[in-house]
Amino acid sequence: MRFIKPLCILLLTYTFTAGYLFEVPALPILNETIRALYLHVPMWFTMIFLLLLSSFHSYRYVSNGDILHDMKSYNFAHIGVYFGILGLLTGMVWARYTWGTFWTNDPKLNGSAIGLLIYFGYFILRSSIDDESKRGKISSVYNVFSFSMLIPLIFILPRLTDSLHPGNGGNPGFNVYDMNSQLRLVFYPAVVGFILLGLWISEIRLKMLKLNQK
Amino acid sequence: MINKIFSILQKEIKIELSQGHLFFSVLLYIVSSTYVIYLSFQPSGLFDMETWVSIFWILILYGSITSVSKSFFQESSKRNFYYYYVYSADELILSKLIYNFLFLICISSFTFIIFSFLLGDIIISKYFFLSLLILGSLSISNCLTLISAISYQVENNSLIISILGFPVILPILLILIRISKISSIDFSWNLIRDDIYLLILLNVILLSLTKVLFSYLWRN
Repeated sequence: MRFIKPLCILLLTYTFTAGYLFEVPALPILNETIRALYLHVPMWFTMIFLLLLSSFHSYRYVSNGDILHDMKSYNFAHIGVYFGILGLLTGMVWARYTWGTFWTNDPKLNGSAIGLLIYFGYFILRSSIDDESKRGKISSVYNVFSFSMLIPLIFILPRLTDSLHPGNGGNPGFNVYDMNSQLRLVFYPAVVGFILLGLWISEIRLKMLKLNQK
Repeated sequence: MINKIFSILQKEIKIELSQGHLFFSVLLYIVSSTYVIYLSFQPSGLFDMETWVSIFWILILYGSITSVSKSFFQESSKRNFYYYYVYSADELILSKLIYNFLFLICISSFTFIIFSFLLGDIIISKYFFLSLLILGSLSISNCLTLISAISYQVENNSLIISILGFPVILPILLILIRISKISSIDFSWNLIRDDIYLLILLNVILLSLTKVLFSYLWRN
């Protein structure tokens, strides 16, 4: 996993320079705020990726009982939630300048906020059990269960209703036709870069958790 | 396996019939809360369909959380130890699921009757709404049974079940509220088809997850 760090630094440097300097399509209302795409959307990609890893490790823990998997799943969930909070914040700043308010009653927004609540519940559940193996088992079961409820909340429910969120009318994420090749030139590297950043942070934090245990 | 499930189910129902305090306490809870809602809307009355439907499902949510959370707590730890040797995890969780489902059907239809009586008869397509109640109690019991099993293992458990249960049950509740809003205006299969399919899909996911994950929990 040695290539993670240089690649992450490279991609994120590219994102932050090219993202602010490259030309973007001038759309009414959106104007320059369209650049929020490079920050806001990768946050959610990273969150989903890290939470997927977290529930995968939870499943591994309940099936073989190795405490390392439990540690990893807790760690990934923790970092994933941070990215989720950042995704909410970047989205709120963007919404302030385009929709006029920080928060609206939008299925996409509500779904992601409730999704974060699920994971706060997971942390509270973990902190309320003292016994280590019991804590791992119970919270892993809840993690797998709640991740599978997060999928309909974020991906399915918003598709069924109309939404202000870009890419609406059937698709809550970005629509293929919403982006042009100029945006894609920065967007895809940004997604990969932020996912690598998430992996990097969780690797460091995993080391800290292991040291704390000793 | 089916015989064993029915034997647990029979035992649960017998205990509930002979003691009866859980069922009647939930009923009393529903009646008193409905009465509070009725009084608080008093001078003008409740005519708004959206308010009716939302309060209805929220009340059912609270009633079902109080009733489902008891499904594991009311067993003594000795009896659970006995179950551990006699029944497998699948049999136990399936019987609990069926029992909670039946319990919630009773609770929700009772809530529907008392709501229509006190707060006005707003639902137009009644048969559809009743079948929606059955589907809703199935989904709520599928969702909350595993959560109550999780919180049974935690010590300060009465708070944990609501913390863990609310966000998980929210997608189901949102779909139910949306379908019942449509059914209270005019019933049309085209409008609700997607939601019903989604609800059934969620139930399949929840059931399979509960079956798989409970065996890990029960081994403790």
